[in-house]
Amino acid sequence: MEGKSHLESLLEAGKFVVTAEIGPPRNADPEVIKKKAKILKGYVDAVNITDCQTAVVRVSSMASAVLIMSEGLEPVMQMTCRDRNRIGIQADLLGASTLGIKNLLCLTGDHPKFGNHPEAKPVFDLDSVQLLRLVKGLNEGRFENGEEIKGKRPYFFLGAAENPFAEPFDFRPYRLAKKVNAGARFIQTQIIYNVEKFRKFMEKCKELGLLERVYILAGITPPKSLAMAKYMKYHVPGLEVPDEVIKRLEDAKDKKEEGIQIAVDIIQQVREIPGVCGVHIMAIEWEEAVPEIVKRAGLYPRDGVPEFTPPFVVEKVVEKVVEKPVEVIVEKIVEKPVEVIVEKVIEKEVPLEGEMADEKIFTLIEILSDLKASLKNIKAGMESLEEGIARLEEEFLKKKEARPVIKEVVRKPEEKPKPEVKPEVKIEEKPEVKVEVKVEEIKPKEELKIEEKPVVEEKPIIEEKPEVKAVPEEKPEEKLEVKPEIKPEVKIEAKPEAIKIGGLKGIYRPLSERAKNIPQDLYLEKATGEIKEVVIGKGDKVIKVGGVSGLNFHFFEGEMRNGVKFALEILDVKPEDWPESLAKYYSDVFHDPALWAKKCVEEYGAEAVCLYLVGTDPNFLNLPPDHAKKITEAVAKAVDVPLIIWGSGNAEKDVEVLREVADIVGERGAVIGPIVEANHRTLAAVAMGYNLPVIASSPIDVNLAKQLNILLENMGLSLDKILMDPSIGALGYGLEYTYSVMERIRLAALFAQDTKLQVPFICSIGKEVWKTKEAGLPTDDLMGEAESRGILMEALTGVTLALAGGDLLIMRHPKAVELCKELFKGLSLS
Amino acid sequence: MIIAERRPIPEILANIENYEKVLVLGCRGCVAVCSAGGDREVAIMAEAIRLARSLQGKPIEVLEATFIRQCDPEYLEPLKGFKDEVEAVVSLACGVGVNLIADLYPDVRVYPGVDTTFYGANLALGEWVEKCRGCGDCIIDKTGGLCPIARCAKNLLNGPCGGSQEGRCEVRKDMPCIWHEIVERLKARGELERLMEIWEPKDWRPAGGDGLRVRIREDLRLNGGK
Repeated sequence: MEGKSHLESLLEAGKFVVTAEIGPPRNADPEVIKKKAKILKGYVDAVNITDCQTAVVRVSSMASAVLIMSEGLEPVMQMTCRDRNRIGIQADLLGASTLGIKNLLCLTGDHPKFGNHPEAKPVFDLDSVQLLRLVKGLNEGRFENGEEIKGKRPYFFLGAAENPFAEPFDFRPYRLAKKVNAGARFIQTQIIYNVEKFRKFMEKCKELGLLERVYILAGITPPKSLAMAKYMKYHVPGLEVPDEVIKRLEDAKDKKEEGIQIAVDIIQQVREIPGVCGVHIMAIEWEEAVPEIVKRAGLYPRDGVPEFTPPFVVEKVVEKVVEKPVEVIVEKIVEKPVEVIVEKVIEKEVPLEGEMADEKIFTLIEILSDLKASLKNIKAGMESLEEGIARLEEEFLKKKEARPVIKEVVRKPEEKPKPEVKPEVKIEEKPEVKVEVKVEEIKPKEELKIEEKPVVEEKPIIEEKPEVKAVPEEKPEEKLEVKPEIKPEVKIEAKPEAIKIGGLKGIYRPLSERAKNIPQDLYLEKATGEIKEVVIGKGDKVIKVGGVSGLNFHFFEGEMRNGVKFALEILDVKPEDWPESLAKYYSDVFHDPALWAKKCVEEYGAEAVCLYLVGTDPNFLNLPPDHAKKITEAVAKAVDVPLIIWGSGNAEKDVEVLREVADIVGERGAVIGPIVEANHRTLAAVAMGYNLPVIASSPIDVNLAKQLNILLENMGLSLDKILMDPSIGALGYGLEYTYSVMERIRLAALFAQDTKLQVPFICSIGKEVWKTKEAGLPTDDLMGEAESRGILMEALTGVTLALAGGDLLIMRHPKAVELCKELFKGLSLS
Repeated sequence: MIIAERRPIPEILANIENYEKVLVLGCRGCVAVCSAGGDREVAIMAEAIRLARSLQGKPIEVLEATFIRQCDPEYLEPLKGFKDEVEAVVSLACGVGVNLIADLYPDVRVYPGVDTTFYGANLALGEWVEKCRGCGDCIIDKTGGLCPIARCAKNLLNGPCGGSQEGRCEVRKDMPCIWHEIVERLKARGELERLMEIWEPKDWRPAGGDGLRVRIREDLRLNGGK
């Protein structure tokens, strides 16, 4: 058996050890590895060499290990089960041992899916526990098949990894015990940020008697940037980054400095935990941070220097060479063929020692590693994009023709709820009123009648009853009511207040009464899913959207915890195409969006304001992001209600604009959007960075809406930060289609457990309604009075889409909002 | 059952590009149950081919038939009636059926109409999920009936790996981590210590590592197989 490794000797002597990690390069340049080794030399006791981490092809762990030995550092070779079967593994291990490698970390390995060859056949002939046992067997002189190793045996100081934060949490110490039983003598843990949870893990290990049997090295990673910390928090499975760490980085001026300090603090905390025998610092693509961390943590200088059996020697020189450090051998070997390489190395080392060159290279390394990190992020994004595209391809190219078969299957869950709706609707229609439907203005009232009936039941308010009863034919009465209201308004256009929204008429009969002859199971079907609740804004003006556990207004089946919310829409520039009947309400504040917002809130009682940055549209005024920023800032200052910031809808421009805007509204909270597939990656990152909910906008299709939600979720944005904008059509402009798509989405979410669709709807009603021709036409005999026409169009669109599932409606006309609210009040009677 | 999925129509069309008369042959076994190759799918496929070819201006005659099974020689007998009539056969059976036709009728040009995907269960209408990988050496007696070979992306025998989060697999986030389920199940049964035993490396020969897998039951063979 060979002598012990340096790492092993230190641990046995009870020293607190420091190990670090080097990721080999994705090319054949030995200098990259050597340079990284030079940075670490003297600051660590051994260095892990990853085995194609995250399943990306790199210089092999064994070759890299030899290279860093030539720099005087002791390697911990990592070996995964992903790429080799038990034959390859044993062959490599024998080879590693012949080269003088003594520390071995046994891993199962990342799945190829996460790497750059996801098509590769994953091997996984063994798992990490079996690998440990196999190597233990090799140490003891037998191959995996039990055959004896005749002659010299390999010797490895065996290590394993464990993730104290992966689930099932309480099984992790037991799995560690398995690894110890299989032969692991040291453990390097997953990166620790949550020290408390790690402490609990260690306590359990103690209970199991593991601390006497295995050296545990705590995994430490300095977050290099806020983005990296967030990436780890959201994208790396099994890694817990507490909000506190994120907060520290957010607040820090110098993020790198703070990252180092975080690492140092964690080292100090874990050092106090009984059983922690050292730390394993994984400064990912940031090896330069390690010396600083080691120094600050009071772990410098390190004890002793590793000694090596040279990895390779030319036979003739063997005897002389054996005990000398590598560099000496190198000089001696100069005349032999092998050394051609070696000579070069020496030549290069000289300039490296000059201070200037060193610095330059360090900056270069830094730049390169930054680049690599961003490339990695981009790759992750590309992957999710590719996945999306693949899904689309599958959907449209491969399966299209097969659909007829599947359709039947798909439809069923969606259709189920329909039966309940119909009986109910019929019931509602029974009450006398059908006649009135002809008159446009009265349409909404038809619904109202139904709802007022309960009032009657509660005897206190009997006054209304007579009204209705007195006039058995309702037509005349209602017309009378409506017209007088409108006419005065037409005359005094300057005073928009003239239009009054009347209350509901008729007698409400509760469902229990109307449906008393119908067995409940014929119309009642409770949802099995629930729509997530999205919180907009911060503080006491916050509004909550969603939280619906049945179809909207089906109060006999489920709850609408937050009701339907409204936002009034303002623009960043003076609107050009708003009809007078709408413009007159705001014309005094058109010049200043801040005043406009204020008016919406103070005069019209808006609970939220939607700022539509139409001026930034490249096809319109193409105002710069700076303009958006200025306007948003002014509006944000002027009002304290939650804001919805709606970009121009140009995918590219919105990225620039919303990035700026998010910076302003990040603090107070707001919704930003619209996010479309083309810009979802960047905007999702922006939203996550500022913890803002977003509007996910897709072109009126169930699958596309779902697809976008999935893409966003893959980016790390949780579903309770998403509002779906299904792209709506106004009354007469596709309202029925919108209704049907929204209804199908909602049915899938509530009744078919389609979790990716359990997200509230945001509907931009005002924008769609007020651009229609009919909303803008003047008053005439054929089309009737202009303003009430517009109001009714907007309100009807709003009510219809609220019935289809709309949770947050963005509207323009204050009276239309008032009318909607009145109708919802009626719909909410039960 | 064996789950299969229809191959993309353009690929099937490319395979039969040069023929003017083909047979679309379904199977009433597994592929009918999983809606990939039964009578209904035969009709759809045949119609799709006709439509595509007439759009290309190269009309084709497509015969349709569905056998009870395609994985038994005797059920393939009726193919004899077709083989001289058509230039090629598109079989919607699993790969077993296509292979058997190729074995028994070397002069028939047979093309696969489906991709044979896995052994799975029908969890809901339109949803099939893999449950078994046919590895030839069943181990689920030790894992509470849940198979880590088929259902763990890394075929772990000493799981769960560090990628198990909130009970989900890191490789397929929409799928449960089967090792998480195994641990939870055995824990609930008070049998967690069974997992503390280190599982030996698996013998992959019965899983196909030993070449073609054959099963013989002497007692059932006619004349001892002679």
